[in-house]
Amino acid sequence: MLMLILGCATVAATATAAEIALPPENAQLIESPLHGYALAQALCLTCHSPDYIAYQPPSGPAYWRSAVLKMQKVFAAPIPDEAIDPIVEYLIATYGKGRERPATNADGNRPVNSGGTRK
Amino acid sequence: MSLHPLRLASALSRRGFLRSTGLLAAGTALSGPLTQALGAAGRVILPFENGARELATYPQKRPMILLTARPPQLETPFAVFNEGILTPNDAFFVRYHLSGIPTAIDPTAFRLRVHGRVAAPLELSLDSLKSLAPPVDLVAVNQCSGNSRGHFTPRVNGGQLSHGAMGNARWTGIPLKAVLDKAGLLPGARQVAFNGLDHAPLPGTPDYVKALEVDHALDGEVMLAWAMNGADLPMLNGYPLRLVVPGYYGTYWVKHVDDIDVLDQPFTGFWMTPAYRIPDNPSHSVEPGTTPERTIPIDRLTIRSFITSVTEGATLPTGRVAEIRGIAFDSGHGIREVLFSSDAGRSWRPAELGASLGRYSFREWRIAFKPASRGQHTLMSRAMNRIGETQPLEPLWNPAGYRRNVIERVNVEAV
Repeated sequence: MLMLILGCATVAATATAAEIALPPENAQLIESPLHGYALAQALCLTCHSPDYIAYQPPSGPAYWRSAVLKMQKVFAAPIPDEAIDPIVEYLIATYGKGRERPATNADGNRPVNSGGTRK
Repeated sequence: MSLHPLRLASALSRRGFLRSTGLLAAGTALSGPLTQALGAAGRVILPFENGARELATYPQKRPMILLTARPPQLETPFAVFNEGILTPNDAFFVRYHLSGIPTAIDPTAFRLRVHGRVAAPLELSLDSLKSLAPPVDLVAVNQCSGNSRGHFTPRVNGGQLSHGAMGNARWTGIPLKAVLDKAGLLPGARQVAFNGLDHAPLPGTPDYVKALEVDHALDGEVMLAWAMNGADLPMLNGYPLRLVVPGYYGTYWVKHVDDIDVLDQPFTGFWMTPAYRIPDNPSHSVEPGTTPERTIPIDRLTIRSFITSVTEGATLPTGRVAEIRGIAFDSGHGIREVLFSSDAGRSWRPAELGASLGRYSFREWRIAFKPASRGQHTLMSRAMNRIGETQPLEPLWNPAGYRRNVIERVNVEAV
């Protein structure tokens, strides 16, 4: 493992800071020609990795709209009102019920989450 | 890696059991399917639609099932629960809500603030906190409210977890009561709110703050813990200090806790209301797909049991005695009995309970099982506690996917 971990026992003995390095985040949103793809990249990933979207069970349009509105209204995500519809449209088209999940996206990366060292 | 002493003890007692019942050979045959999940595959498929997950290695952790990368949410591979009654620190699940998580903490600079409706506000270093009262040890299960959410039917949105968002550890700390007594609660104190070092990346996002009723906070069992299983808390499990609320869901076990606010009115932050609520009725459930009329904050753990020594699709030799093992736990009343069925619930017989590590702990159970005929056998376990609570045959449903405790099934194949 490449990341530096100062063992906790060492911390107690030497009173230095405990520090971890989180593994790189590899997951990406699934590519799409829809306008909402770029908006989702710009506005959703500020706070969370895209696996929050990818792991949901098959979900209909009402869920995706409520999720985006919750981010805007409850979690104070700076999503302009005019961005709501395109983002919801992208999520329904790309992650919605009945959509087949591609094994890889155009870059050859797995779209279904990731992050963490896989060495 | 050396064997943890308690894991060793468990292994030894298991061997004793096997020897005493002549099961040693069968036990060895069983070990095949148990250990696969931690292999080098780097990927697991949880048993529900869209259940493909990476195995990821995070600091101070062995490969864990990755739910989300930012903030990190890591699920314990289920095979770990067959390794011993205490869940190793490097396999203990990780659940954060907000992505501004601490990754570097100087324990000498850390301070715990206690303020609000108190006579003497405090600002305690870790050393002064530890000197407030004699340290106490308590073995207790920490389980995410949404553990097993992925198994709900109909499915419920939220973290899609299998059964690995739970763990059992020996927590070391001091009673929260000692700190609150030191500060001196003023008349009118009603709730105590807990905040940790984790925060949201945006200022407007509700910070993760949880509250307990004053009587609960003062019960002498709620702890401020700095160690689990004899070592400092891993960073991702709340270093250097976390709340331990025995018998209650993990949502209350605030990590990196550095702020305690004594309130003269109920705390109404987002993470108490509307989040983490359950239907306000005796079963805390509703008809699938419906919305409850009234809700209350989630509280105590439901009673559960699991078979850990065989997993779905495992094969057992026909006509040979095998040892089936598992765990059971409840919210602290204590496990009285675990029943086992090998015929999909038509008949039940009591399992042998292992040593008790305390009423908030996982309790090991085991039973001999000899598949008489070839083919599929549906194994089930059902726990009952000292006040008669047991697990339902059919799952209860609620809109948030909390508190699953239906009797689980494991289908094995006798060959």
